[in-house]
Amino acid sequence: MDSFTNSLGVNQQSKKQAWMDKIRQEAAVEQARALIDKVSDNCFEKCVPKPGSTLTSGETTCINQCMEKYMSAWNVVSRKYIERIQSKEI
Amino acid sequence: MDSSSGDINLTDLSQNDKKELQQFVSNEAQKAKIQSTVHYLTDMCWKRCITSKISSGQMDSYERPCMENCVDRYIDSQMTVLKHLEQLRGQL
Repeated sequence: MDSFTNSLGVNQQSKKQAWMDKIRQEAAVEQARALIDKVSDNCFEKCVPKPGSTLTSGETTCINQCMEKYMSAWNVVSRKYIERIQSKEI
Repeated sequence: MDSSSGDINLTDLSQNDKKELQQFVSNEAQKAKIQSTVHYLTDMCWKRCITSKISSGQMDSYERPCMENCVDRYIDSQMTVLKHLEQLRGQL
């Protein structure tokens, strides 16, 4: 962070670049956090309907598969939504 | 976003750099907005389309088209609401 606070003599280009990297990185973290929340909610709902004293191996397998499935569902929705909003007649 | 952003001083950036950054931020905001809609839609459509037990990490031949239709029909519904609202407004 020191290079940020030292405003004089800092290369403008790299400073701008640092800003962009920081914004990109924060967006990516936020994006990952949102996905993890949704996966946890939906897969817990789906795979652990009656929580027992431990997570069974069946439940663990279900959660792992569910997670892959959710991410692939996310990609399908993303592709479809972007395709739709880019087409002229929404 | 987080508080450390306040440490970055923008005042000595050139006018052009500021413009470029503004453009960049507005693009990123747009992207974030789209992604948050995708999160919302995935959540909602998942609840409608993935109704059977999870037995693999892939979507099956019913689930995938269901997810796609769900997105399309949601947007159709939204458009229908907007159109009808417009119509009601015209009647006033």
